[in-house]
Formats: sequence, structure tokens, C-alpha cells
Amino acid sequence: MAEISFPLPDLGEGLIEATVLEWLVAEGDRVERNHPLVEVETTKSAVELPSPQAGKVVKIHGEPGDTIKVGDPLIVFEVPDDTAGIVGTVPKEEAPKRRVRLSPVPDED
Amino acid sequence: MSEHMTLGDLDAAQANREAADAAQAKGHAETVTAPAAAEGAEGRVETLSMQQALNRALADVMEENPRTVILGEDVGRLGGVFRITDGLQARFGEQRVFDTPLAESGILGMSVGLAMAGYHPIPEVQFDGFAYPAINQIVCQVGRMNYRSRGTLPMPITLRVPSFGGIRAPEHHGESLESLFAHVPGLKVVSPADPEQAYHLLKHAATRPDPVIFMEPKSRYWQKGPVNVGGAGFQPGGSRVARTGKHVTLVAWGAMVARCLQVAELAAEDGIEVEVLDLRWLKPIDTAGLAASVSKTRRAVVVHEAPLTAGLGAEVAALITERCFGTLRAPVERVTGFDVPYPSGDLEDEYIPNIDRILFGIQRVLEYRRG
Repeated sequence: MAEISFPLPDLGEGLIEATVLEWLVAEGDRVERNHPLVEVETTKSAVELPSPQAGKVVKIHGEPGDTIKVGDPLIVFEVPDDTAGIVGTVPKEEAPKRRVRLSPVPDED
Repeated sequence: MSEHMTLGDLDAAQANREAADAAQAKGHAETVTAPAAAEGAEGRVETLSMQQALNRALADVMEENPRTVILGEDVGRLGGVFRITDGLQARFGEQRVFDTPLAESGILGMSVGLAMAGYHPIPEVQFDGFAYPAINQIVCQVGRMNYRSRGTLPMPITLRVPSFGGIRAPEHHGESLESLFAHVPGLKVVSPADPEQAYHLLKHAATRPDPVIFMEPKSRYWQKGPVNVGGAGFQPGGSRVARTGKHVTLVAWGAMVARCLQVAELAAEDGIEVEVLDLRWLKPIDTAGLAASVSKTRRAVVVHEAPLTAGLGAEVAALITERCFGTLRAPVERVTGFDVPYPSGDLEDEYIPNIDRILFGIQRVLEYRRG
């Protein structure tokens, strides 16, 4: 198992920090990619941050009311070794989805 | 032979080669007759991920040829960012599996020098998009040294490049450089589609006397499949019919082969029998294999992740047209990425040919009417 730390991302528009409003996960939780992690408030708005990856949450930084600077650690995940250290995420094998149906082959002339 | 050899030891090691080969052959013979061996006349079928299959292939060629060396960023102590070289430094020593500075031009330049000195380097460029700084070495040295030296300095270099998209990675981590490499005289280019292909094609590439660009479809690293380990009988040359059909041929390579097989399955529900041709070698292209398939189906769709313009699909389409013009029922369709820089992970699914876009391509060749 390996640990991957995720820093507070740049939330845009030149914002340099954000205040934790509410954690939506707890240490020990297993999360999927895009699962909501935390609600934070900037000087512009309150936003919910989705998880950048799947893994087990081993450490969260900041209690509600605390201010975190962009680039400072926000959350630490534990991931299996075979997914650690890579850039990107392991693709999921999903059942193929389609919207297009094919018309029958015309008679061969 | 000590476990951790220095490069200087390699000449002595070469002398022991025959004995080692004999032992290897004996071991192989035992494997063949072992009652535990799965079905099949040779070797042993194991279920491996493509990661594991590539790792195994590298270990095999390192074992078989003491002049083989592996170099690249993080390939040693870490075992590679995709773990393809996992455990190899511990097994073969720091002289034969070594980390390089973050300088792709240097990795390839060093490989050229090693090849000139009689070694078989297997360099890794960590991601497709990092091959750009090494293009000068690849084009001007790797591809030409054999020609320039009138055959006295062959370049037995196998350049491993984790390639193509599909893992939600940032810029420079999802690019498809096959047409760039295929355009360079002196290089061979190959891409495996599954663990079995990966294992055997890498072993084949690494024992060739000429340079091979080995494009690993990184989105397929984790999928498992049967691999006939050590088994003879694998045909490394040419293309491969991954599924037979009679109405249309899908031509693909790398990660797109698996997607085309999914499409073929869905098309079968509509009564359309799709043949999937895994091109495998992107240079040289198996023109005869292409012609054989398309002469039968009389329709072809080429699928690749790279941008459309001057992509390898254009070359494939031209070859099909030259060979099959008289029998083609429709112009060759191309379903490809777009003429834009490879997008960020969130837009990847819109960029890489998806099932519906490929089905549309099939529909276009099915309903085409002359005049």
C-alpha cells in the first residue's frame, strides 16, 4: 500500500485559500473517483470538491472553520501498490454502452 | 555468473552463453512435459496483466542475453511508474537496470552508444509526450546509424513508450506518436493489444538486430488475459485477425483493438458481422494481411486515437485502396481523434473514438452508394 497526498487545488479566479465548511468523508472511508470530499468556502462561493481518485482516506487536514492555502495538503489517500506512483487513474472495465443501432446490410449486387 | 554483473563482466558472461542456453533449453523441455502445464503443446498458459506480461518478457530477455540493459527514468529503484520493470534491478543489478537523469535525449543518446558497443539497450521513455525531447536522437541516430555505417553498427534498441490515452492523465501523457515514428526510415513500430501479444512481441522486439519502437497501450496495462509463457509457435510478424466477420473490417492497434472487439459484439446484435484486424506492426504494415481481410469484407473502417490529419489511418486507407480498389464497396472510413492537442482527462471520452462513433463509421460504409 502507498499513500498519495492531494493538495487544495487552485479554485480559480486568483483565489489563494479556502475555508473548510464541512467534511463529507471521514478518515477510514473508502471513496471512488469524483465522490464529494469536502465543502469549502472561498471569498467567491462555497464549492464541493470531488475526489480526484479512488482510495481509502487515511488523513484529512483542517477542521470546519480552518483556512487552507492553495497547494497545502488537503487529504491523503491510501492506494494499492499497483496503482501507486502513476500519473492518472486506472481505467474501469465497464459494460459497453451504445446509442447507435446499425441498419441491415443492403443486398449485395 | 555473479548476480550483479558489471558491464565489464559481460564479455565473460557471453562465453557462458551456450551453457546457459543449454540449461534454458532443458528447463524449457521440462516445462513442456510438465503435467501441470495447461492445454497447448508448448509452454504454460498463465493469466497475467499486460504489466506482468511485459515484466516477465523483460526478465526473460535479460536472463537470455547478458548484453541486454534497461535504462530510463525511475525504471530501477522504483520499478517504473507503471511497474513494468518492477524487481528487475534487484534481480539483475544496478549495472544492467539503471535510473537516468530526467533527460530523454540523453537516454536515447546513451542507448545509441551502448548499441554501438555491442549491447542491447531497452530504454524507456516514461510517457509518449516525453519522446519529443529525444526525437533528434531517434531520427538522426537510432534510425540511421545502421545505414550510415553500411551495416557495421546495427542499432538493436527496443524503445518502450507507454502510449495512447485513456487514464485521465494531464498533457503529454496521452499522445499517439505512431505516425511520427512510422515516418522515420530505419525504425520499426509495433503495438501490442493484449497481454499475450505484449509478452511475445516485446521478447521478439528485444532480440531483433534493428531498432523497434514498442508502443505500450497504457490504458490496457491492468487488464488480464491468458499468456502462453515461453511457448513456441507465436507468430510475431504481420497483423492478426482478432475476430472474423464478413461485412466490414475494423483496422486497429493498441488499446483500440479491445474497443473494436466490443463494437463487433454490439454490431452482431444488429446482424452485422465485423472483422477486427489487429494491425500490430505499424511499420512495416502488413499490406497482404490488410488486403486479404478487406478483399473478403469489401468495406473497411480504420480506428485510431491519433489526430486524423496525416495519421496512420491515411496510410492504411491508401494501402487498402491500392490493393482492393476493384472490390471496395465504399471509401475507407477513418474514425480517429481530432486535430487538436490531446485534451485533459475530463474531455478524454469525447476525444478517443467511442463505441458510437465507430458504429457510425461502420454505418457510413454499409450505406454508401456509388454515383
